[in-house]
Parts: sequence; C-alpha cells; structure tokens
Amino acid sequence: MTVALELALVVFVVSTAVATAVLRDIVASIAVFAAFSLGISVIWLVLQAPDVALTEAAVGAGIMSVLLLVTVAKTARASDEGALVSVNPRALAAVGLLLLVLVSTVPALPEVGSEEAPALQKTVDGELTPYGYYVEEAYNETGVENSVTAVLVYYRGFDTFGEATVVFSAVVGVLVALGGSRRWGEE
Amino acid sequence: MRRTYFESPIVMTTVRLVAPFALTYGAFVTLHGAESPGGGFQGGVVVAATVITVAFAFGVRPTVDWVDERVVVGVFAGGMLAFGAVTVGTVLLGGAVLQVDLLPVSIKYGIEAVEVFIGAIVAGVVTSLFFLLSEGGDGE
Repeated sequence: MTVALELALVVFVVSTAVATAVLRDIVASIAVFAAFSLGISVIWLVLQAPDVALTEAAVGAGIMSVLLLVTVAKTARASDEGALVSVNPRALAAVGLLLLVLVSTVPALPEVGSEEAPALQKTVDGELTPYGYYVEEAYNETGVENSVTAVLVYYRGFDTFGEATVVFSAVVGVLVALGGSRRWGEE
Repeated sequence: MRRTYFESPIVMTTVRLVAPFALTYGAFVTLHGAESPGGGFQGGVVVAATVITVAFAFGVRPTVDWVDERVVVGVFAGGMLAFGAVTVGTVLLGGAVLQVDLLPVSIKYGIEAVEVFIGAIVAGVVTSLFFLLSEGGDGE
C-alpha cells in the first residue's frame, strides 16, 4: 500500500516536472509547478521531514506561484500556437545522460530511516557524531523538543542569521528597484 | 495592464472566514516551533500567505492601503534589528553567537524569541515582495 502510494507520488512529481518544462503557456507552467511543489512536500513528509514539508508547501506551492503569477501578469505572455515548446534533442540527450548517472547512484543509498544509514550513526569509532550529539544533548541543553529548531536557532544560529540577512537584502534590493515612489504604486 | 481583479462575494466571504484561522495557525507555527514542526520561517510564510489571500479577495490596492506598507517595512526591519541585536548582544556579553542562555530568560524562550524575529522578517519580506511586484514599479 505504502509502496503503491510512493510510486504514485513519484509518477506525479516526475510528470508535473516534465509538464512544467515543456508547457508553452507560462501561466499553465506555473500552475503545474505549484502542483509539483505540493507533490514534493508530500514526499518530504514520507521521508519524515515535516519541517521541510511545511516550508515546501507554503513557499514552493503557495508564495512562489503567487510571486511568479504576479510577475507574469506584469509582463508579456507568449501567445504562440502549440501547447508545448519544441525540445532540443541534443539538450534532451544531455539531460537524459545526467539523469542516468544520478539514478545509477540510487541503489547505493540506504533505505529511508534505515539504522545503518551513515547520517544516522550516533557514534563513529566511539566518538559522538554531530547527529548523535544533537539527538542526545539538544533537549537536555536547550529544553526544546523539536531538535530541528534547536539546531536552526541555537547550534547553527550564525547560519540562520546569515539566511535572514540574505532574505532582508533581497527585499531591500526589490524595494530600491520597484518601490521608488513615496507610496508604493503611486506616482 | 490587464484587469486582474474580479470582485466575488463567494471568495470574499470564504477569505473573511478563513483568514483569522490562517493567521492564528501562522502564529501557532511560529510560537510552537520548539515543540512541533515549524518555526519562524514557516509561520512567517503562513502569515504572509494570509495577507496575499486577502489581497486576492479584496484587491491588491485596497489591501496595500489597509495594511500600510510602512507597517510591513517596519515589521521586517524591526525583526532584522532585533535578530541582529540578539546576535551581537550575546557576543558582547562574552558568549558565542546567539548563545541565548546568556540572556535573562530560559534558553527555550530565547530560542522562541529568535523564532518570532525570524517570523517577522519572513512575513514582512514576503508581503513586501508581493505588494511591490503587483503594485510597485512605474505605478501602472
């Protein structure tokens, strides 16, 4: 049952990804891309990463689609005949080759949630790994039950501060470019 | 520019009903990030998405006027300043970056506070991006 669901999810994600690439109408492409993001967010859930799933659903499927749609509404929309773009056979071959190389690594990956997975080892040669440290100590040290939050804000707070700065700088750039008038959108 | 707003009583009523719950959920995700999946980034995006939903129902221009862009800029600039103050403050107090246990609150509440600042930054930034992209520019 789970395998069938997962297979259906993968088929859904792959077909929406292909549709996003080949659809000529940008608005249709954005709509399919939102569906792709929603599928990916369910895959994150299956992979037991609810924090990432929540972000993907909100940012990927929600905000990104809206921002892309708003931008397209302000610019031209291609009205060429034909629903699909023409695909360059050489580019397709290159992408296919890359895909083959990437897929060939999949059998080497450990099973999802497998205890033998290298990333899930709490100790290596008797020494605590970062994962082991966070799992063993995060709650004792911070009193925070969601260790993802503990890592994000406490152990890797400097990175998070950098991320927030990037987001802040991005919007300052857009403000300078588009928000010139005293009241936005009013001359 | 093409006309992009169509007034619909069904959409307006639905949004009127859903928006308070969505805002509450955004606050919950931000404040409850220590115990459950989520945090400032996710909660902030949910809050911004609520504002965008309101804009879809009632039109972007009235929403910009209602929210007031100075508030939006104040929210993300204030969040950034507060986050920066905590980051620099913990170093000035002799600790590591964001070593929030140096603050006069428990670590957990220190982390929650930072999550709230992140939420403010993300909510303000995403709302600004939406407002600017749809209403900014050359004042069409």
